[in-house]
Amino acid sequence: MLEINNLNVSVEDNKILNNLSLSIKTGEVHAIMGPNGSGKSTIAHTLAGNPNYQVESGSISFNGKDLLDMEPTERSLDGLFLAFQYPIEIPGVTNASYLRQIMNSHRKHQGKDPIEAAAFLKLLKEKSAYLKIPFDMHSRFVNTGFSGGEKKKNEVLQMDLLDPKLIIMDETDSGLDVDALKVTADAINQMKSKNRSLVIVTHYLRLLEYIKPDYVHIFQNGQIIESGDSSLASRIDKDGYE
Amino acid sequence: MSLEIPVWPQELIKMVMNKDQCSIRLDGVTPVIENFSNFISISSAEDFIKSNILNIEVSESENIQRVNLILEDQSKNPINFEINLKLNECAKLEFLDESIYSIDSNIKLLTTLHKNSCFELYKLNSYKSENTNMFFHDCSLLENSSFKDYSFSNGSKENFSKTVINLNDINSKYLGSGVSINDSTNSNTEVEIRHNTKMASSDCYFKTVAKGSSKVNFDGTIFVDNHCSKTISNQVSKGLLIGKESKINLVPKLEIYNDDVECSHGAASGQPDKNTLFYLTSRGISKEDAEQIYVEGFLSEFFETIENNLMAEKAKNFINLNT
Repeated sequence: MLEINNLNVSVEDNKILNNLSLSIKTGEVHAIMGPNGSGKSTIAHTLAGNPNYQVESGSISFNGKDLLDMEPTERSLDGLFLAFQYPIEIPGVTNASYLRQIMNSHRKHQGKDPIEAAAFLKLLKEKSAYLKIPFDMHSRFVNTGFSGGEKKKNEVLQMDLLDPKLIIMDETDSGLDVDALKVTADAINQMKSKNRSLVIVTHYLRLLEYIKPDYVHIFQNGQIIESGDSSLASRIDKDGYE
Repeated sequence: MSLEIPVWPQELIKMVMNKDQCSIRLDGVTPVIENFSNFISISSAEDFIKSNILNIEVSESENIQRVNLILEDQSKNPINFEINLKLNECAKLEFLDESIYSIDSNIKLLTTLHKNSCFELYKLNSYKSENTNMFFHDCSLLENSSFKDYSFSNGSKENFSKTVINLNDINSKYLGSGVSINDSTNSNTEVEIRHNTKMASSDCYFKTVAKGSSKVNFDGTIFVDNHCSKTISNQVSKGLLIGKESKINLVPKLEIYNDDVECSHGAASGQPDKNTLFYLTSRGISKEDAEQIYVEGFLSEFFETIENNLMAEKAKNFINLNT
């Protein structure tokens, strides 16, 4: 599904990723761990097409397409989803209308009619109940005044509504209390499928205890210095990166 | 036995439906004034043609009275007239102008609000980029009167709007909200709020979006005279630059000659936040739609200040059509 080859990425002339290569097959769950500043978020944002991250060289292929030739909109419509570590606040735009708009953008791309208001409301109620999101949150402005947990759940809700092929989660577990982490992890587990791949960027073992990854990669200085199965995450949690 | 359903004369139905309303239709040649309200007195069309001045007087009523200004076929003459508006004690008036101005215009409104009167002015106007359009409003507020002033426009070649608010008596209140959405048009807005009495309050919000090669100026003055203690006055102006060649100039001015006041002002302008636009596009929304969502979010702060649901809906539609 995803092939990253010799990728070099800079942010404001600081080189962050150094000849990074990674291959992810359909249905696999990969976890990326590493100390602060090792390039975990950089790979997440580069994959989503954040213009603040400059690709100096290398290639990324996503389902056979050159990802670097695609705008962020196109990447999303083709099935790539980034759950933000710090979801953006959009004052003046209600969450419900925003969620409906993003759904309809994808439906339009798939040649479907826009979702009707009643059907959308029903769907939103079901998904919100499952994620234990208070329904009145949707009449508030997008992420504005949301608690840390609400913001992260809102990211998972968007992920669920858009039904992506490749999910990249940038520290979705940060800011979640124990109960919220379990609800969120359950929702993510529900989304695991043989047709979908997940990349989980995290500092901690706790999320990976709920969502068992097939592979764990340790980042340092913008490179993968070690890869292994889920036992690698336990070892890092116990011994640290040193 | 069959019941005969009475057929009401159309004119009567119209009068009942519009019983608190007065409409002024202008086509540049012959004005048509239809007044169905017992509480609004207005110049005749003949007097208006002679003087170019329309006198409107509103008296106390249980229901809010309404005046609609409707500009129709404007192919002939520029629009140039004056309205003298007087709200008597305890009078309530809603004045709506949602016309599309397709020629030059110069409209002057002189308003006096007597004790305990309430006035709401809604101007939702679209102009053409080749025209010159001017609007002057001088409003005097007496004891315990209030004025809610909502203005939405899209600019023109030369679009000039000046509002002077005279808070002349205690507990008079002014709430002004202006939105100017410009697409390679120009807009000059001046608001001068004069606190000439103690214990009066004013709030003034102005937001603008400048696209293409638009030029927008906002000049907001709060004047508080030396004897005007317990004044409350706030002013906020914000601008969003969308076009690479667009310019926004926000000039807040405070002239305060009394220490016992609560006054504030703030002004900020800039381009849309790139991180927000990326967030939206990363969800599959096109760049153009992301920009539109951003602009609508920026402007929607005003909807919350409009208590009248119908007018809030009209304001939303205006913004949707012009962004």
